[in-house]
Amino acid sequence: MKCFAKFLLKHYLRVITKLTLLVHRPVVIAVAGSTNKNFAKKEIKRRLEEEGLTVRANPKNFNTEIGLPLAILHLPSGYNEYKAWLPAIFTSPLRIFQRNFPRFLVLGLGTSDEGDMSYLLSIVKPHISVVTDITQRYKEGFSDMNNLVDEYRLLADRTRNNGVLLLNADNYRVKRIGDNRKKKVVYYGFNKKADPCIVGAQKNEKGQRAKIRHREKEENFQINRFGRHHLYAFLIGVAVKEEVKSL
Amino acid sequence: MESFLGLTICSDISMFERTKNIKLSVIKQIELEASKYPDAVSLAQGIPDFDTPDFIKRRVERALKRGVVAKYSLSPGLPELRELIEESLEKEGMYYDWEKEILVTAGSIEGITATIMAITSPGDEVIIPEPTYTSYREVINLAGCKPVFVPLDEEKGWGFDIERYREAVTEKTKAIFYCNPNNPTGTIYTKKQLMDLARLAEDNNLFLISDEVYKDFIYDEKEFFSLASIPELRKRVIRIFSFSKAFAMTGWRVGYLHSDEENVREITKVHDSLVTCAPVISQYAAMGALEIEKEKMKKFFEDYKKRRDVMCSRLENLSHVFDFVRPDSAYYVFPRISSRVAEVVGKDLIKGDLVDSWGFAFRLLEKAQIATVPGTAFGPNGEGHIRMSFGRRREDIEESFDRMENIFKT
Repeated sequence: MKCFAKFLLKHYLRVITKLTLLVHRPVVIAVAGSTNKNFAKKEIKRRLEEEGLTVRANPKNFNTEIGLPLAILHLPSGYNEYKAWLPAIFTSPLRIFQRNFPRFLVLGLGTSDEGDMSYLLSIVKPHISVVTDITQRYKEGFSDMNNLVDEYRLLADRTRNNGVLLLNADNYRVKRIGDNRKKKVVYYGFNKKADPCIVGAQKNEKGQRAKIRHREKEENFQINRFGRHHLYAFLIGVAVKEEVKSL
Repeated sequence: MESFLGLTICSDISMFERTKNIKLSVIKQIELEASKYPDAVSLAQGIPDFDTPDFIKRRVERALKRGVVAKYSLSPGLPELRELIEESLEKEGMYYDWEKEILVTAGSIEGITATIMAITSPGDEVIIPEPTYTSYREVINLAGCKPVFVPLDEEKGWGFDIERYREAVTEKTKAIFYCNPNNPTGTIYTKKQLMDLARLAEDNNLFLISDEVYKDFIYDEKEFFSLASIPELRKRVIRIFSFSKAFAMTGWRVGYLHSDEENVREITKVHDSLVTCAPVISQYAAMGALEIEKEKMKKFFEDYKKRRDVMCSRLENLSHVFDFVRPDSAYYVFPRISSRVAEVVGKDLIKGDLVDSWGFAFRLLEKAQIATVPGTAFGPNGEGHIRMSFGRRREDIEESFDRMENIFKT
């Protein structure tokens, strides 16, 4: 009974979400990877909002078959209570013609089993896709590492032809996803060939001082967060801000 | 020496040099004694009476079904959990790197033990404001260090007097270790008090260990401040948190600590040798806890506030027996026992101005079958008080006070 209800809910939300996306046609920025999705999403959102753009990002665990539509439609989850789902079910059709629908959607896409990405990509077709990292995390849902990587390859394949792939140049598996692509690929990271690239970073009391090279210009930034992942998130923000101009 | 089947059995306590002065928790002793009374009502142990929320249980069920809980995790904890912890800290204005500065522990006590072992050498001194949580001094003793008690001021609502700390610092002092909000007094230290402590630590190159397991139990919109939110203090402050109290997960044994990477690297070495990693199944439960929307936990904390109000109002009815400071946080009240109760509990318990808390707790158990914790368990300054927990069911609170009103009739 529970499985059947979930099946119905999943497909109902998918249809409503697709209709909503068809009507509003937002720019979709997908963020996927084993780690750092949330910090990257936050940084992208911050950067775009700085430019005066309207942005909606999915909350941290709203990145699965049911969570993603809810995030796009901006509806709460009913979790495991049947009654709590009723508002989401009844109000979701109204979202199709919602006023002030944001221009940009920044969506984390979660994949913990084979086929997850395929389902999520049946709902959204990204303009920009970011792959943050591929590690052994979530590997247990896949028969081997190649199958996990294939999920991210699928994301690259399904990104719009006139869209952009943003790939971590420091992770070999991620970097290889960009090989032989006809669409635009941007590599970011510490790798000297990356652009944007971290030329140097120094930890200080408030966070990190980083020198960034982007389009042949070098600039220093103070990032008030600790950890290498925040440097990556910062680069992703820089690159996305640049790339949305050409969309 | 004893003999058994021709073998000589050595029962010489000197063989247990490290543990000979360590005491089993007074709270456990009281609970053990209470178990002998069939109708005993316990206000002793600091255990929430709620069950772990369903959302957390479902998270664990999913992990079990996926077969991801049987193996060790990395010693500092599951990366996905540490990432969630970093995000939750960020919401509280604290910025720590999940990869190098956050360590998932087997409850807060393991984090405390690993910290004390890492930052001290035998013979060092650790200052503890008291009354405070009983196990601190045992951990300090276990590490071969000396706990130095600095009394909190009951007249000032159990607040700090910084001059007393200044006087307590010696060349051997390595750290100041405090619980904020404090168990058993429910005190929230003010920002000024904590900043004074931070300056003292800076002047004397001391670590500050801040146990904040009750930071979610704040009543009447009181402000809570953590020194871990000051970037300049990140090398000095080691902040400890547990999922036990805030999410009714005492049995899961999972918590975390965070500090600058240099400190966490050293603490992780001890943590690794003590437990390898926190129980993986519990780490998934902790992920469930952090994924819960704050709103979902609101009812839980509102219920505690109601119980506090019930306990305080019932204590007011017993003003001839107890004098108390209304707690702003945690789920304990720490009333002073009036010497006027001598007629009921026995004059032999009166020691000067104070009532022997150990004797009082046992007589209360004997006469009314109510288990409480003697104040002396929380340090010398706790003498003359008992700790009552309102983490228990409201019915238990009401029942225990009915019984007390009965035996302490005016």
